[in-house]
Amino acid sequence: MAERVYIDADVLILGGGTAGCMAAWEARRTGGEDLKIVIVEKAFIRHSGCLSAGMNALNMYINQGKPEDYVSYARYDMCGAPIREDIMLSVANEVNDTVKIMEESGLPMKKKEDGRYLNRGKWNIEINGSLLKPITAAKAIEARAEIYNRVYITDLIVKDDACIGAVGFGVRDGKFYICRGKVTMLCAGGAAGLWRPNNHGDAHHRIWYFPFNAGSSYAMCKRAGAEMTTFEVRFVPVRTKDTYSPTGTLSIGMGAPMVNSLGQAFMKEDPHYVQWGGHTAPTPIRAYGFQRETIAHRGPVFMDTTKGDPAKVTGIKGQYLDMSPSLVLYWGCNDIDPSKEPVEIDGGDPNIVGAHAGMAGAWTRGTSRETTVGRLYVSGDALGGAPSRFISGSWTCGRITGRSMAQALKANSYDYADLEPALVDALEERTFGPLNNYLGRAKEGLWTDGTLMSGISPKQMEDRMQKIMEEYCGGRTRWYFISEPYLNIARRHIKRMRNDQLQYLCARDLHDLQLAWDVINRLDVCQLVVEHISFRKETRFPGYVLRTDYPEADPDYDCFINSKWDPETDEVVCFKVPYEQIVPGDRRKETI
Amino acid sequence: MPPKADPTKCDGCQGESEPLCEQVCPGNLMTLDKETRKAYCREPGDCWDCMTCTKACPRQAIQTTLQYQIAYFPGKLIPLVGTNSVTWTSIDCHGRVERFVMKTLVSPDDEDED
Ligand SMILES: Cc1cc2nc3c(=O)[nH]c(=O)nc-3n(C[C@H](O)[C@H](O)[C@H](O)COP(=O)(O)OP(=O)(O)OC[C@H]3O[C@@H](n4cnc5c(N)ncnc54)[C@H](O)[C@@H]3O)c2cc1C
Ligand code: SF4
Ligand code: SF4
Repeated sequence: MAERVYIDADVLILGGGTAGCMAAWEARRTGGEDLKIVIVEKAFIRHSGCLSAGMNALNMYINQGKPEDYVSYARYDMCGAPIREDIMLSVANEVNDTVKIMEESGLPMKKKEDGRYLNRGKWNIEINGSLLKPITAAKAIEARAEIYNRVYITDLIVKDDACIGAVGFGVRDGKFYICRGKVTMLCAGGAAGLWRPNNHGDAHHRIWYFPFNAGSSYAMCKRAGAEMTTFEVRFVPVRTKDTYSPTGTLSIGMGAPMVNSLGQAFMKEDPHYVQWGGHTAPTPIRAYGFQRETIAHRGPVFMDTTKGDPAKVTGIKGQYLDMSPSLVLYWGCNDIDPSKEPVEIDGGDPNIVGAHAGMAGAWTRGTSRETTVGRLYVSGDALGGAPSRFISGSWTCGRITGRSMAQALKANSYDYADLEPALVDALEERTFGPLNNYLGRAKEGLWTDGTLMSGISPKQMEDRMQKIMEEYCGGRTRWYFISEPYLNIARRHIKRMRNDQLQYLCARDLHDLQLAWDVINRLDVCQLVVEHISFRKETRFPGYVLRTDYPEADPDYDCFINSKWDPETDEVVCFKVPYEQIVPGDRRKETI
Repeated sequence: MPPKADPTKCDGCQGESEPLCEQVCPGNLMTLDKETRKAYCREPGDCWDCMTCTKACPRQAIQTTLQYQIAYFPGKLIPLVGTNSVTWTSIDCHGRVERFVMKTLVSPDDEDED
């Protein structure tokens, strides 16, 4: 038995990232001085999560128009698809306040001569965001949240349809952490690494999404019995080749359009794309444009930076140093001068995210951020149905969650639940399972290279999972094409891995145990993805999922696809949930 | 570009309760070699190239190069972290040097600068 650490919190926050830190801050503001706020984070809060490399822009800011206009934009950018307009509106209403709070907390904002924030396009503003994460973490510290670094959360504890806490292990100390929360917030980000990455070997993690968010949020919600939404909308990044740096920096900074190898600015010129909105078409359509041009042998596809002002290149490099420093070196070591030659772009492995240009996550009640499991809240990438919140929207959404939890504590007399010793023992056994499995199986023998004769490492299992998803669930090398016969094979293998193969999963040490849980969680997310894509028998987001058996959009699917996992049968049961339009107007157009 | 630590510079952060690179890595990758007491990245392929460890090292022992599969040799990118800014030096594979100073925090004397 591991040494145990018991933690009790009024507000228990799992994942000290973009959303989690701001939730702590707002919970303190709303809940008052006596509230006990705890953050449990698997890494080190000052440098964890999506923001760890820094970022150069806040993609959500109401520069112009009203919050409703932003909602209309987010809807448009998802091809007019159903989005949770109630949630989006609540974020849009407060996002500008949040940015002001962060500026006052030391975030360097770029400004125009008139003193207003320097915008990049309609809804983005530029920042010097190299220290975004330390600045964000400082808000949680300012709120006097009690912070536990290097604790990996493995499961939520649910009793009578309500979440009463969570358990995990100390990545460094190997202790078993048992946390009780009067309310619990899960904000451990989205899911990278379900599909095969483009680069291999020492560049395996040269991918777009933060690879250490491995779907914990979704997997834990799913296992806790929460209703999940929109796992068929995966985000396919089209970014600078090999480094996955954003292209917006180039398209806006250098006035660079996407061009094919014939030099055609196809999004603007080809009527096939113009009907979708041309070069400002929705994100899935721009990804589709890249794919279609390449498949039609008009690749490679580039951002044509050669027509821009060469004097701007230094400034562009500076912007990349704030969020994707490797690109600057990549140019230097590949003899690329963007003012003289166009910058090649490429599609990456798909990602499951809730706050970027995707919208998978837990379904929430109204604008409370409470899931269908009582006292369990979500935010950031973990929250579903509300795309395009990005950093500033995730901060804001986190604040709203923090406030909502503090209000729920005031309105209800929630108390700590008693934990039965047998339950705690069972959770401990499960948490350390792969580690103990290693010890047991090591006795059965090791090969001369030191690997187990009768066990599988987390890496091996990850490779197998990525191969299945790549080849049968529309990976990058399969041009993102999917159809039912392929999905059937993916379904069979993912099930087999989850139900039969996990018994062989072994972790040598605590770092490996983290990797083991990453793959356990990813496999749960794979199951959600396969079932959701299979249920949506149409193609609504062409660049994200191209269903070759249902290539058109079908009005019957103009709704959310939600699901619930049945632990008895291990089935993910999908069903339709109607969409409610709040912001009037044509859903396939932006209001401004 | 998985970080590489220079054995002549890395002192294992003696005196710190935990080596700084190890403390900050979001992927739990930096660790000390048990025998040499010097830092290394335990699984280069798992590194996201966020450069947090490189920026955090008090002895500038960690160097950033690109994976050879994606870029030519040699070439390096060196951040020097100041109080309110970071100075980047990029040396490309032909030895050409470029320097950039990027603001990182609002400083009290910003008002005068603008
Ligand atoms: C490469 C990239 C570029 C982007 N560019 C921009 C941009 O320019 N502008 C913009 O506005 N937005 C951008 N975004 C989007 C934005 O960064 C995200 O939407 C936002 O940061 C998500 O916030 P979050 O709180 O959900 O996740 P995170 O901030 O990643 O927080 C999740 C936290 O949970 C922790 N965690 C994970 N699993 C566990 C576990 N099992 N136990 C305990 N803790 C755990 C993680 O360590 C992390 O600290 C970008 C995203 C990426 C990946
Ligand atoms: S931070 Fe630098 S000096 Fe300290 S252990 Fe790491 S590489 Fe060595
Ligand atoms: S660059 Fe980032 S991910 Fe890679 S070892 Fe350093 S801190 Fe970890």
